[in-house]
Amino acid sequence: MAGFAQQVVEGMGAGAIYAGLALALVLIHRFTGIVNFAQGELAMFSTYVAWQFMDAGLPFWAALAITLTVSFTGGMLIERVVIRPVEGAPELTMVIVTVGLFIFVNAAAGWIWSFLIKDFPNPFPDGALRAGGVAVGYPTLGILAVVGLVMGLLYLLFRHTGIGLGMRAVAADPDSARLVGIRVGRTLALGWGLAATVGAVSGVLVAPLLFLEPNMMGGVLIYAFAAATLGGFDSPAGAVVGGLVVGVAETLAGAYVDVVGSDLKIGVPLVIILVVLLLRPQGLFGRATVERA
Amino acid sequence: MSTPDDDFLVVEDLHAGYGGARVLHGVSLTVGRGEVCAILGPNGAGKTTLLRALCGMVKGRGAVRLGGTGLLGRPPDAVARLGVAHVPEGRGTFLPLTVEENLRLGAFTRRDRAAVQADLERVHGYFPVLRKRLKQQAGSLSGGEQQMLALGRALMLRPRLLLLDEPSLGLAPMVTRELFGIVRSINEEERTTVVVVEQNAHLALGIARQAHVLETGRIVLSGPAERIRADEQVARSYLGYRV
Repeated sequence: MAGFAQQVVEGMGAGAIYAGLALALVLIHRFTGIVNFAQGELAMFSTYVAWQFMDAGLPFWAALAITLTVSFTGGMLIERVVIRPVEGAPELTMVIVTVGLFIFVNAAAGWIWSFLIKDFPNPFPDGALRAGGVAVGYPTLGILAVVGLVMGLLYLLFRHTGIGLGMRAVAADPDSARLVGIRVGRTLALGWGLAATVGAVSGVLVAPLLFLEPNMMGGVLIYAFAAATLGGFDSPAGAVVGGLVVGVAETLAGAYVDVVGSDLKIGVPLVIILVVLLLRPQGLFGRATVERA
Repeated sequence: MSTPDDDFLVVEDLHAGYGGARVLHGVSLTVGRGEVCAILGPNGAGKTTLLRALCGMVKGRGAVRLGGTGLLGRPPDAVARLGVAHVPEGRGTFLPLTVEENLRLGAFTRRDRAAVQADLERVHGYFPVLRKRLKQQAGSLSGGEQQMLALGRALMLRPRLLLLDEPSLGLAPMVTRELFGIVRSINEEERTTVVVVEQNAHLALGIARQAHVLETGRIVLSGPAERIRADEQVARSYLGYRV
């Protein structure tokens, strides 16, 4: 039984990372209707920025602060330069543009920092909290705490600030948002900046576990897609719950289902995506809008 | 002798349309400060396009001035910040948000928090039904309630100019009458200048001082509302009802 609980805890640690990236995906999708395939690569690039500053001798938290600022600015810049010109284009165009961005960012990171793996320090201390035969590593606790914090800050932003209300208005109806005086373009850029920042957090959390290299986020992105699909592509809370469920499901399947083992674990998100799309396309937390004619 | 108040909103030789399709062919009119102006005319005459050109949703040529400030060429959000509140066709409600959030969004550009709070109370005064539904999702309101919400949202801007596009659309006659009554009292109590586009000419003429009849993108008749209402010929040919 303790073994099972142990697996669940490990799964939640992994899941929190998927949740972080899924949050970034959901943010952009909610505002722009775009599924940003480049989200993982942007997170990877941000992580390299953090590495670069640490390599130059800055302490972890200082490097992180700079990285988040750079990511926010970079996300806004990408919206202005890459996304704005194709705003309102059909979905397929958007998919191609973000896939193009994926390839570009991936190649750029390889060009700047090479494809050789780099060590990335873990900001959390080694060791574990033990309770009832279950050991929860401090890094796992740290990841859960950080994702919880990000989630809480986003909640405060959206529910309790004017900017957040404006962002939700733009997500609901950009034309009406303009009519009440909201600068929609600026708000969309803000959304991209925010998503890039949240993505950067997930990149920095995952790097110590995976080693830093340009293809680091590929697998994580697939899990994040599963998490966002499961939770509902419009629901930040759903993204977090979805991430945790996917993480736990993946770990349990790997541990207890012989055919899955560690080789087929990556198949778990695919199964989750398929089942959710078949049974509940809007996801667990996706809201169907109430509308009276 | 015209005073600045007589020429509060000035539209001169306004041409507008969508892409290649020209809809307005040189519309000119003026609205005095604190007046209600009705734009009447059949479907497809360009009434909605006129309002959209005023608020920046479609591009126009010519001149539009509000209190001396040019509006043409400004995007809708900039026009809104100049104090123009537009209740568009379809009401422009933020359906997934709550009633209260919709109202607060009306005051998005304002920084005078205390006054916004007071205006929220004022809007509740005009529309008591909204007060009961503040925490409810706006999409769950009935058509009449949504139109009241749209009007309330527009009032939250403390607009200098209020543009109403077919407020009666899809509403029961009794609700429509109530709504026009509220527009009238808003105009009387706050001296808000109103341009209302309506198919229901009878109601619109009831609250308007001046009226213009638009047909295929041109103004074919202008005058004091009561004269237009009294003109049987006009009534039959343009307004589609018998006096």
